[in-house]
Amino acid sequence: MALRVHIRLLAVVACLAAAAAASGCGAADRAPASGSTLRSTLRDADGDGALEPGPAEPLVARTQLGAPGPAERTLATLAIVSDAHVRDEESPARVPFLDRFGAPVDSTFRPHEALSAQVLDASVRAIRAERPDAVLVAGDLVDNAQANELALALTVLRGGTARPDSGAAGYDGPQRAANPDPLFYRPDVDAPRHPGLLARAQRPFRAVGLGGARLLPLIGNHDLLVQGELPPDARTQAIATGDRRLTRLRERPQLPDGAPAALRIAAIRALLAGPALGPTRRVAADPGRRALRPAQVAARLRAAAGLPATASDALDYTADVGPSLRILALDAVDRTGGSEGRITPRQLTWLRRELARAGRRAVIVATHQPLRSSRGGAAVLRLLDSSPAVVAALSGHTHRHRIEPRRRRGGGGYWLIETASLADHPQQARMLRLVRTRSRPAGLALETWVVDHDGAGLAGTARELAYLDVQGGRPRNLQARRGDRNVRLGLRAPCCGPIS
Amino acid sequence: MRRALQRLLGRRRQVLVAATLIAAAGLAVGVAGSVGYSLATGYDRAAQRSDQPDILARFAPRRRSELRARLDRLPNVERISYRLEVNRIGLGAGGRFSRRGAVHVVHPGRRGYAIVAGRDVRGDGAEALVERGVAREWDLQPGDRISVRQLGELRVAGIALSVDNVAFPLASVPRIYVSEAMIQRRFGADPDPDVNIALVWLADPARLDVTLAAARPAAFGLRTEQLLTGRGVRQAIDQAAGIVIALLAILALVACVCAGAMLAAAASAEVRRRAPVLGVQRALGATRRRTVGEQVLDALLVAVPAAAAGVAIGALAAAAPTAALLGYLNELAPGAALLWPLVAAFAALMAVVAAGAAWPAWRLGRRPIAALLRGGDLTARSCVRRGRRRGAGRDARGGLLALGAHFALARRARWLSCVCVLAVAAAAVLLVLAVADLLVSLRDDPGTLGRRYALTVPGEAADAAAVQRIPGVAAAAQRSTVDAADSFSLTEPLRVIAYPGDHVPFEAPPLASGRRLRTEREVEVGAGLADALGLRPGGQLAIQAASGRELRFRVAGIVRALENDGRVVYARTAPLLRDGPSLGGPIAVRLEPGAARGAVVRRLARAGFASRATGGATARNQAFLAVLATVLRNVALAIGLVCLAAVVQTLTLTARDRRRSLAVLRATGATPRALAAVLAGAAAALVVPALAAGVALQRLVLAPVVAGLAADYATLPLGVSAGDALAVGGGLTLVGVIAVLVVTRSALGEPIAAGLEHED
Amino acid sequence: MTPLLRLRGLTKTVGSGRAARRVLDRVDLDLQPGELAAVVGPSGSGKSTLLQLAGGLDRADAGEVTIAGQRLDGCSDTALARLRARRLGFVFQAFHLVPELSGEENVRLAARFGPPGASRRVAALVDAMALRAVADALPAQLSGGEQQRFAVARALVNDPALVLADEPTGNLDASSGAIVLDLLSAAAAAGRGVLVVTHDAAVTARADRVLALQDGRLR
Repeated sequence: MALRVHIRLLAVVACLAAAAAASGCGAADRAPASGSTLRSTLRDADGDGALEPGPAEPLVARTQLGAPGPAERTLATLAIVSDAHVRDEESPARVPFLDRFGAPVDSTFRPHEALSAQVLDASVRAIRAERPDAVLVAGDLVDNAQANELALALTVLRGGTARPDSGAAGYDGPQRAANPDPLFYRPDVDAPRHPGLLARAQRPFRAVGLGGARLLPLIGNHDLLVQGELPPDARTQAIATGDRRLTRLRERPQLPDGAPAALRIAAIRALLAGPALGPTRRVAADPGRRALRPAQVAARLRAAAGLPATASDALDYTADVGPSLRILALDAVDRTGGSEGRITPRQLTWLRRELARAGRRAVIVATHQPLRSSRGGAAVLRLLDSSPAVVAALSGHTHRHRIEPRRRRGGGGYWLIETASLADHPQQARMLRLVRTRSRPAGLALETWVVDHDGAGLAGTARELAYLDVQGGRPRNLQARRGDRNVRLGLRAPCCGPIS
Repeated sequence: MRRALQRLLGRRRQVLVAATLIAAAGLAVGVAGSVGYSLATGYDRAAQRSDQPDILARFAPRRRSELRARLDRLPNVERISYRLEVNRIGLGAGGRFSRRGAVHVVHPGRRGYAIVAGRDVRGDGAEALVERGVAREWDLQPGDRISVRQLGELRVAGIALSVDNVAFPLASVPRIYVSEAMIQRRFGADPDPDVNIALVWLADPARLDVTLAAARPAAFGLRTEQLLTGRGVRQAIDQAAGIVIALLAILALVACVCAGAMLAAAASAEVRRRAPVLGVQRALGATRRRTVGEQVLDALLVAVPAAAAGVAIGALAAAAPTAALLGYLNELAPGAALLWPLVAAFAALMAVVAAGAAWPAWRLGRRPIAALLRGGDLTARSCVRRGRRRGAGRDARGGLLALGAHFALARRARWLSCVCVLAVAAAAVLLVLAVADLLVSLRDDPGTLGRRYALTVPGEAADAAAVQRIPGVAAAAQRSTVDAADSFSLTEPLRVIAYPGDHVPFEAPPLASGRRLRTEREVEVGAGLADALGLRPGGQLAIQAASGRELRFRVAGIVRALENDGRVVYARTAPLLRDGPSLGGPIAVRLEPGAARGAVVRRLARAGFASRATGGATARNQAFLAVLATVLRNVALAIGLVCLAAVVQTLTLTARDRRRSLAVLRATGATPRALAAVLAGAAAALVVPALAAGVALQRLVLAPVVAGLAADYATLPLGVSAGDALAVGGGLTLVGVIAVLVVTRSALGEPIAAGLEHED
Repeated sequence: MTPLLRLRGLTKTVGSGRAARRVLDRVDLDLQPGELAAVVGPSGSGKSTLLQLAGGLDRADAGEVTIAGQRLDGCSDTALARLRARRLGFVFQAFHLVPELSGEENVRLAARFGPPGASRRVAALVDAMALRAVADALPAQLSGGEQQRFAVARALVNDPALVLADEPTGNLDASSGAIVLDLLSAAAAAGRGVLVVTHDAAVTARADRVLALQDGRLR
């Protein structure tokens, strides 16, 4: 009798243990590692240039527009991933040799530039774990307006086999070990050494994609313009799809610092147009490197988002996220060139109409470039000031987290929320949650927090290199302050009546 | 205890000899230990105390805000402070003057130097800090006055020590520090002054290479003139000290071993002598442990004060030359921290002594008590060679010496141990002398480094042709040196030596592998650098010049070069010239064979060229090498004392063993001189084989080992020179003579009758 | 005739503290050339001490020793050694041959210290004592008698004026002892002075003079 009891007990214990183990494994499969900074952050506590896990960063309340009451119900969850800059680093239509001259061309080379697709993939995995209703891809999805870059980025977002390599098999770019230019980080020989990194970066990998979440893309300047500044023309197309790449300049270029966009564009164009600027190197030609026309880019993005096709090449659209939230997306890219945003009067009209049609929904306006620094943005902001339904205006482009309140006359207001990039430190995406508060009378609040990518494999190396980058996010403080990251944003109640 | 003291008093003479032996060993250990420890730890101590930055960078002068904007971007940085270095400022104090003074204007922040006297300069008062080398050389104290061109007379507020260079006058530039506040007050306030030195302290010094790699893009556009890392400084300073430290450690060990062997021999004889007493003790019930303990106690009673005195005297004697050495190197003396290694050395010596005393007693204790009580000769080995018939009618002249040799050889083990000790000591002394000779030849003879030019002439590259036309000059070319780093391992510094054409006529360090460089795309790499970077002929070397450009070369061959610890690269000037306007450097002048140097010097002077003779080492190291050589020779002397004590002891024991025979000789009419001849024969039986064995040991064992240690740098000619061998032979002979005289005197002091009563 | 050996007032104390004994108390002695004198006395009475003092092997507490007209007191070590080499010959009870050297080499060794020409006499002496056959043997291989004969040869090789023998026959059998006694007598007969300390009756029988040492006094 006793023996049988014992055996039964043992069996039960064994089963429980097995179940626990299985569930543990299964849990790992079902829910990928989370990067939410509400659980843990990455910080460099000892100042040695390496990021280590740190304590969680809970939400703090910002009350400039009203105290955010306790959340009662989540109305919509939005993920924002901005400035992924998925890049074909081997393309001849690039100017990494300008990077050393500092601003304004110091984003033309990054030590981790070969790892852009992997970083986006890692971010996608982290976002999936947060289970958003929709994912706003806030522009600059690709780096150089190239067709192969867009294809690669969309594959990563949707899932499938991503193939980062271009041209001939393997890596053939400025970071190869044989390049005697020490101002390019060469992972095989320069510290911190990562031998074979570039070869591994060219290998195809399996992307899980965003799953069921709805994709809401914005167009950024790098999606349409060469290096984010130059509208593609025959000359640039020839270079991109050609077989020669400029390796360095013979003379130091004269780049006007702080000059208006037109001058900068002219300078870069002159650089690329001039013959025999410096030695060139033979590379494998790849027709996939051609730049897409704006209409093509818009069409592909609409298709990926499941939006109806239109004749216009501007990616302006309306999208509902649940019954309570309406997103109004504006295409602020100037097709004539330049990285500065512009809103046309026609777009202003469209916006006014859409705002009136929003009804009792909360409205979020999204552009790639911030409205405050775009041409015509001031008018948009004034329009939004007078639309009580607007709770936030989202943007990217600056690569820095920034949350500022915008007050309305008569009380209340809305929040201007900018999200950092995946290209530079801190390589974070943002979650934004619209909640109904338990206050009386019931109101709305926004909760937002940032999400690190999961750092698996090459993405982790990319994060390490991005942190060390002397032109990157660390010296420029792109991770901003706490109040720009994980916050509860109060909105003057009542702003609008939520439906259900 | 009292009994032990009585026992010791009973055999005063032996005790004295043993004490001398131990004291001599203690002396050698004290000298070697204190010099070696001070040299080995001096740099680290000074670096830590003076808060040495992990990177010291010199740039062309820039506004501080600009430099800060660039350098604040570097990862892994804890603190950066700035200075402005102004060169060629006249400095004078107390009758001494230098036109080449350097004034460091120190901005607020971490200092990067240690205050060793007085206090720091902080306010805007008219004061300055003086570098320690200058203070020592010019005899300055805090409170004295120093006059500085453009600043007038400043009060010396304190004395500073910094390890980023060797000390004045080894370094040719005397340095003072003044505060930025004082300069601002004197010349007008400037919110954003110029700076040209940045001192960088890292959060994690182990990640220095990451910071250096990041510094390349951050410093693009700044003209970097020098990038010093701690390791680079240390290598520049520690040039010859490494071998010397290893040598001193070996010597201290040798001294301990010699002392131990001799003590074992003496203790063994003593135990034999006391065997009947020990037998009685054992018969009465004393344990073996007790007898061993008595022996050890007796030995330690003598050894502790003798060794303590020896070690203390050795350390004190070494203090002055060590301080001089450290002063040259800008390093810090260990001070009280020296106590621990000396105590450890003392303890080691005591352990050796105790073991040397305990071992024979332990072994003897294994014999049956009856054998002990019988006394007499307890060794199984025969004293006398049986059955050997000596040739009849041989000439008796020299018979006394042969007799003495017989006496010494009678106790084989003792003879062998003494000869071994002498041989090892002789070999060690020969090695030390060889290294000292090498250091001196490094200093004086350029041929040691493979240099074939005898003169250098300051001038431009264009002057080389004019110099070559002077009769007596075979070839002249500009010799440029550039301090750079390996581009893939920025923490590995190296020195590039560049000639416009072929360098072999001017310097030809021996080729270890590969071949000489032929084109400007090739280089020859020193063995030390090749080892550090894993380079082989056919491999690739990437050099990062100060401007930030990377130059790539193919490694044609690997050479054994002593300069800069073997971290040198021979190249052509052309690729380096693309880097900057001109490299500078003196013109190396090679003389025609048979040309008189003095005549050529005069002709050069008439043509307007002031020439300098080439030393082996650079001029700044010559004084340092001289001091090192002196220290080494003093250590050799200490070891000589060990030899003396060993020989005296052996002779004493031999004389004691042969008391009867010696008494018979005296009874038969041997004069004191004849007696001395016998003992001289015994001494010769010790010294002559020891010298031969010592020479063989040094040549076959020690020299190859040490040369192997230094194989990275050069084929060190550490063979035995005739002069050294003669010196050591003479020294051993002197030792033998002194020993003979001492022992003869003591033997004569005993009445013959008493000697006759003893068994042989 | 000048005595070869002259002792006046010789005093010697042996031992220290309570064990001190005055073994010689104002001893006087004259020894003439050609005389064989024997000193007898109980064991431990200081006979050996007397001989050692006479030969300069030890220093007396008081008194003077004169050998062939030369006083030992003020002599330096070197002078003493010379004296011992040329004027004295010792024969010991324990033979005291140097173990590393053969019998003949022992004799030759003593000849080294002597006047020039002594070396030539070595071979003759060895032959005269019928020791040629064992001349190259080491002392360990010789019988007691042979060893003592070598010792006597050694004592005589420098043609000393005075021969001092301390129990020369003590360790020998009768026949060997007789041979040695013959050698000593011959030495005395040749004009040397021989002083023998002995127990042996055969020696006292052949002596010209027999002295007894008792309580430190010589009678």
